[in-house]
Amino acid sequence: MLSRREFAQCAAGGSAAWLASAQTEVLTPADYTIDIAPYSLDLSPHSAIETVAYNAQVPGPLIQLQEGKPVTIDVSNRTNSPEVVHWHGLFLSPEVDGAMEEGTPMIPPRGKARYTFTPRPAGFRWYHTHTFAGHNHNRAQYTGQHGFVFIAPRENPGRYDAEIFLALHDWKGHLLASDDGSMNPVYDVSTINGRVLGFGEPLQVKPNQRVLFHILNSSPTEVHWIALAGHSFEVIALDGNAVPSAETVPMLRLAPAERVCAIVRTNNPGVWVLAEVRKHIQAAGMGMVVEYAGQSGKPRWQQPESLDWDYTRFGSSEPVAPRDDGAIEIPLVFRSKFAGHGEMDHWTINGKSFPHTDTIVLHQGQRYRLLLKNESTDNHPVHLHRHVFELRRIAGVGTPRGVLKDTILVDANTEAHVEFTADDPGLTLFHCHQQDHMDMGFMMLFRYA
Amino acid sequence: MRNVVARLRSASRLCGVLLPAFCPIVLLAQGNYEIQVYGSDTVAPQTTMLELHSNFTVFGQRYLIDGVYPTYHQEHETLELTQGVNDWSEVGFYIFTSEQNGHGVQWVGDHIRPRVRVPTSWHWPVGVSLSTEIGYQRAVYSPDTWTWEIRPIVDKAVRRWYFALNPALERTWHGPDVHQGLGFAPAAKVSFDFTKVISAGVEYYADYGKLFYFDAFHQQQQQFFAAADLNVSPNWEINFGVGIGVTAATDHLIIKGIIGRRFSWHKASPIE
Repeated sequence: MLSRREFAQCAAGGSAAWLASAQTEVLTPADYTIDIAPYSLDLSPHSAIETVAYNAQVPGPLIQLQEGKPVTIDVSNRTNSPEVVHWHGLFLSPEVDGAMEEGTPMIPPRGKARYTFTPRPAGFRWYHTHTFAGHNHNRAQYTGQHGFVFIAPRENPGRYDAEIFLALHDWKGHLLASDDGSMNPVYDVSTINGRVLGFGEPLQVKPNQRVLFHILNSSPTEVHWIALAGHSFEVIALDGNAVPSAETVPMLRLAPAERVCAIVRTNNPGVWVLAEVRKHIQAAGMGMVVEYAGQSGKPRWQQPESLDWDYTRFGSSEPVAPRDDGAIEIPLVFRSKFAGHGEMDHWTINGKSFPHTDTIVLHQGQRYRLLLKNESTDNHPVHLHRHVFELRRIAGVGTPRGVLKDTILVDANTEAHVEFTADDPGLTLFHCHQQDHMDMGFMMLFRYA
Repeated sequence: MRNVVARLRSASRLCGVLLPAFCPIVLLAQGNYEIQVYGSDTVAPQTTMLELHSNFTVFGQRYLIDGVYPTYHQEHETLELTQGVNDWSEVGFYIFTSEQNGHGVQWVGDHIRPRVRVPTSWHWPVGVSLSTEIGYQRAVYSPDTWTWEIRPIVDKAVRRWYFALNPALERTWHGPDVHQGLGFAPAAKVSFDFTKVISAGVEYYADYGKLFYFDAFHQQQQQFFAAADLNVSPNWEINFGVGIGVTAATDHLIIKGIIGRRFSWHKASPIE
């Protein structure tokens, strides 16, 4: 019986030939280079963490690409562990998507790899490590290995005056007994762009502008709620995909791996705080100061009294289509498997843990409806690689059309339905994006017939 | 917070005053009001834990000796109220009672028990807390009426296993043992999670007598309990077991049960 760790080791061994080939190609200069290396990150004046980062910065460098224009990215792994870079939200072949479960070769310790692909679709994507952490909370997504990818459309319909990229992350994780009877990671420090509230440079904005925020939750396990005091967000895209109905909301909710693009109208001059809405997370550092030009004083925070988010409000106002629309239904039931009060739960999809989960066969061009039934007491941000899906039902309620995502948070003991078209042949990974859940078996593969 | 029902404690306290070894009658103080090995967790702030400890001595001391009631067929009911103070401390208060044919329901005494623990933010590899307990019990139930105890607590959950150690030290402030000095009364627990709800294992309670000058084995108190915990909810603690005493100075068969309920006094807010 192979664990995910053993599966990864096998995959790393099998990647040597590909890497040799890749190294011979490193003759022409790459468009981008990424160095994966140990890095000491100052989270605050009093707190630092020894982590792993891309190009000695957290988040990693912003990679700006043009939709449809091929790109070459060289990656050097200067760590002592096999690594791989996943291009989250892009439609790439399994060989470069960045998941060894799909067949992307691992980059061995001190090794190199070259990723060459044609980026699509346009929008706000990201890249991150896709490795096993297990009980080591300074590996995989617990580290600083994440960065933004922005794929500019051929014709840019955006209208904004300034653009800001923010990454929410949690650090210094450790296991703690939780209400559900098992161990879960908790964190000492939470940051935006690698800094706690008050430590990083304030965001400088000008009055009467439309500022486009691209916000990514790169946390290994935590959902986050973000508000900007004195302002609201006009959400224009979820997971990088434009929404049919751009709604204005007081706060954003982002599950791990989710992204929100939202416009803030800078019409309330002052010095404000953009931060996690929940007090204990904000106290752990998740926040930053937003400063209007020419304004000074103590940053102001206005504490919301409730949490407010609804995927469905961003859908089209057109009526929900009937269910007998030709989509083939695939039920996927998520359950936990108790492993002891001193251990993390193990996870199953349809009763099996990866790598023993069933591999479901897809037929190209067919529409599929995933019936995501969460029979556990945890929420799960599930992610489908290499495809985008459309939300159809959330917690038993039909959703307006047109909300396209690659990650959806399925709340505990609820069911969500999403649809996608099998239009990108190759092995396709589906998993919970919580690092501890995917490590403990919450993954499965689709393959094309 | 994990639904820990492994917080067990020994109140098995004995005088260790024995008649000559050839005599089958052993004089021991009443104990077994709260049979529990403590875990390191403390009750959360703005939360009160209400526990009822019920212990029945099936085979125990049958004779009234030096004014101390026999334990045989005594039913002990102990009410424990624990209030969480902050993330790392709590205060517990006990009301001990006893019921027995011929004596009716009697108040036995009260104890107060402050406790502090190592905060989780310190990231210690094991849970550690320190409890101290001061209290009074009537002389007809314990010749030592005023006592004090300090109880280090170390515990650790490893996959399905749970380990807890309570190497307690006791001191009599008023009573025959006032000159004894510190007594050593350790307790320990090992349990296994058979399911998410059911854990079971062995609990050990002892009183070795004076620290560094232990009593002879037959004068020591040595008890082993087969015990189970039911982890039905984070708000409930349920523990029950059957214990045997393996020395002459120990009650030979005891049945124990604990039922506890947490009450939170603040309205849960999603932003807290």
